Amino acid sequence: MGLVLVLALTSTASAKKAAPVAEKKAPPSVPKEKLDKVREILLDEDDAAAIDAAKALGQSGAANAVEPLLETLSVGGSPERTEAALAALGQLAVPSTLDVLELYAGNRTPEIRRAAIKAIGAIKGERSLGPLLTALGDAAPDVRAVAADALAARKAEGAVAGPRLLALVKRNDLGAAPALGQLAAPDLVPQLAELQGAVDDNVVATALGEILKRDDVRDGLRVDVIHTMARLSGEASTAALVEYLATIPAKDDRPSKKEAQKVVDEKGTVK
Amino acid sequence: MKARAFGLVALLASFGLATLGCATEPYKRAGNMDDVAAALARHGTGAARPANAGGRPLAFLALAGAKGPRLAAYDLADKRVLWTQPADLKARVEVGADFVVHASANALVGRDLRAGGERWRRAIAADERLLGYAADGATAFVLVQKGGAHLHGGTAYLAAIDGTTGAERWRHELPSANAGGPTAGGGLVAVLLQSQYVAILDGATGAELATVLSNEEAATYVRALPEGVFFGSSGVFRLSRATAAGSRKSAGYVAAKLPEFVRPVYWFDQYRPEQGDYSALDRNRVLWRMTPNKEDEAARFRDDLAVVHNFRFFFGFDSKTGALRWAYNHPSTEAVSSADVGDAILFATADGELGALDAKTGRRTYAARLPGEVVRGVTFDAEGFAPHDATGASPTLSEALSSIVWDPDRRFWDVKMFAIEALAGQPGGEVTEQLLKITEQEGLPPAVYQKAGEALIARKDAGSAAASSEMLAHVLERHADYAEGRSAPAVEILARAAGAMKAKAAAPALVAHLRRPETTPAAAAAIARALAALEATDALPALRDFLTMYRADPIYDGDPTALVAASEAMLALGGQSERQLLLYLSEEPRTVQALRAHLRRALAQTASRAAAAAAAE
Repeated sequence: MGLVLVLALTSTASAKKAAPVAEKKAPPSVPKEKLDKVREILLDEDDAAAIDAAKALGQSGAANAVEPLLETLSVGGSPERTEAALAALGQLAVPSTLDVLELYAGNRTPEIRRAAIKAIGAIKGERSLGPLLTALGDAAPDVRAVAADALAARKAEGAVAGPRLLALVKRNDLGAAPALGQLAAPDLVPQLAELQGAVDDNVVATALGEILKRDDVRDGLRVDVIHTMARLSGEASTAALVEYLATIPAKDDRPSKKEAQKVVDEKGTVK
Repeated sequence: MKARAFGLVALLASFGLATLGCATEPYKRAGNMDDVAAALARHGTGAARPANAGGRPLAFLALAGAKGPRLAAYDLADKRVLWTQPADLKARVEVGADFVVHASANALVGRDLRAGGERWRRAIAADERLLGYAADGATAFVLVQKGGAHLHGGTAYLAAIDGTTGAERWRHELPSANAGGPTAGGGLVAVLLQSQYVAILDGATGAELATVLSNEEAATYVRALPEGVFFGSSGVFRLSRATAAGSRKSAGYVAAKLPEFVRPVYWFDQYRPEQGDYSALDRNRVLWRMTPNKEDEAARFRDDLAVVHNFRFFFGFDSKTGALRWAYNHPSTEAVSSADVGDAILFATADGELGALDAKTGRRTYAARLPGEVVRGVTFDAEGFAPHDATGASPTLSEALSSIVWDPDRRFWDVKMFAIEALAGQPGGEVTEQLLKITEQEGLPPAVYQKAGEALIARKDAGSAAASSEMLAHVLERHADYAEGRSAPAVEILARAAGAMKAKAAAPALVAHLRRPETTPAAAAAIARALAALEATDALPALRDFLTMYRADPIYDGDPTALVAASEAMLALGGQSERQLLLYLSEEPRTVQALRAHLRRALAQTASRAAAAAAAE
């Protein structure tokens, strides 16, 4: 049933209709009768069918796929159905769904919150920033990690998200470490380095490893970061340095490359 | 053993057998009122002055620490150490006119009061057991058991010892080795026997003057105070004709009305040698004095006051009603010893601080310190000492109670619970603020939040209702945030308080909590009820969202209380559109069954009212 539905939705007339190359491509649309059928399935008792229908709507990318999903969420349902509807909305990434997504970001079930936050993260714009920052304070690590990843994808939000991500890393939150490394302003790096001893070395190494990969970091700072990583125990620091070395072209002999190689040689390879 | 002995007496009494005539031979005059009256006539009481001949208010401190065990004498009036002597005390210091006496290893030691030097030492033989000792004027009294096990078998005697030379003046053989005490004062010396008798002897000759038969309550202590002689265990008998047979029904018996957290220890159990030494019991007991009143023989706590010393805290209670009059929180360090010397409560802390509180108000009236000392225990000989030093502003009762609640020492939850309860009984908006602060505090035991919340709910502080409402709203504005290491306030209890206080200002914050993931179902139920009580129609969208979001969630299968509460609030606050939604939910098969059943019933019950309202519109 689900597969048939997906095929049916993705082969709508509007999707097939050819558009001039120079014009902006109009979003596909699900025909009304099919949409009514999907709506019926979404509100029906059969959870599995409803979940498939929600997935199909999400994959359709159709502008009119949003409404049935919002209707589903507005009357509530099982956690599994709710999660599927939220995931579908995430695929559609329509700003008008933010209110509903934000509502479900406050659900008691962590999986539902995670799906809602992921969907919010997919929606660009300032309005979605607040819920993501709020979600960094969620009690569930998975939810925080999804919010952190979404924020990391928005480089411009580093100044806002950095301090909260740093607060999480200070609490040993491994899920926040990559995002912090990707977003942290250079002036946060010394603070990060000072966490050695107070926070698990792997958490610090993960964040510092991401900083090494950034193009906007001067090489002198990278060398400092590598010196800090040299003092960290655990495999994460070595793995991050090896990963960094792999990103540097063979002919590039920047100082941080030599330093990283030296540390890797001293530490030995990751087993 | 004591309890068993007393139980036997009680049993006999219940059969009408424990009369004076049935007392065993050595105690044949036990309970004789005339004997007691005659003994009391010899009692030289009334002087509110220290026992030492100089009349100076003194404290004798058992010191420990790096300098080793020592005994120090301290002049409280001059705030200076008079002397310090190496001394390994095994029990309390007792103070005579010009000497002090204390137990040491296998000996009783008499010391010169002015310089602390050892005057005499009375060895306790291998077959002897030191049961206790006391001092009065120029004489020390020592109670010794010979042979047998502690309180069992063997014999016991009371001896009078010259405080200057250590020479024995007289010896009185006791009828039983099951003996405790002694206590001496005003020329009398008293010994406890078999938990039910108090033998009164002439301090000068050792002649037995009277024997009290404590018929209804074990006598585990006897105290000689300027205002009289007292005995008892769970209460206080004033020694008199009326209490010669230990009747609790007589006016000569009194027990203070005290809250649950108080351990009602009126004096140390003198049958237990370990209580003869400075111990934790010194830090947790009731301090009291009696109204001097010889005429009608009634026992009445002085100023109807019973002071409770509980480690770092002191409380002054109305002994008749149990009402709290004052509270004092000593910062940081425990008071290891204390004494009620009439107008003042004296105390000493483990780190060498000496203090006094006004007995009537609890105001701090004295402060002195022995720097660098570790104090194990103190005997105060300072009857009538009433200092009036300026020690800074005195906190109000509310402030004192708040400081106890907020005290970082986490050991004293029973005291803190009492402080919350007492705080709640105080008037004023600042009390509401303090109670709200408690609910804000993280990491407290749930019972504390509960207590503070219940106190908030019960508050009828109309004068400050608006301010309280604002404060409540402010507290509720806090949400949990893992990144900031912050948890939510006690939402459930605060929601109940908001509803009870009609704190409309709190409605938006309650709505925000209803939408939060950390809000428990119990808290959500309380929020829904509060919103209904507050007639917060603005909250209808949030209630709708809550109900639809969770109406099919299995977490509410077992207990749909929160869903039911939300639906009730919608019915109370909403109109037709809310009824329509509820009707849909009641028919939708995925809705939690218990909620469906409730909705069907509730919609039917309110149908006519809703129809009338719709018609009126």
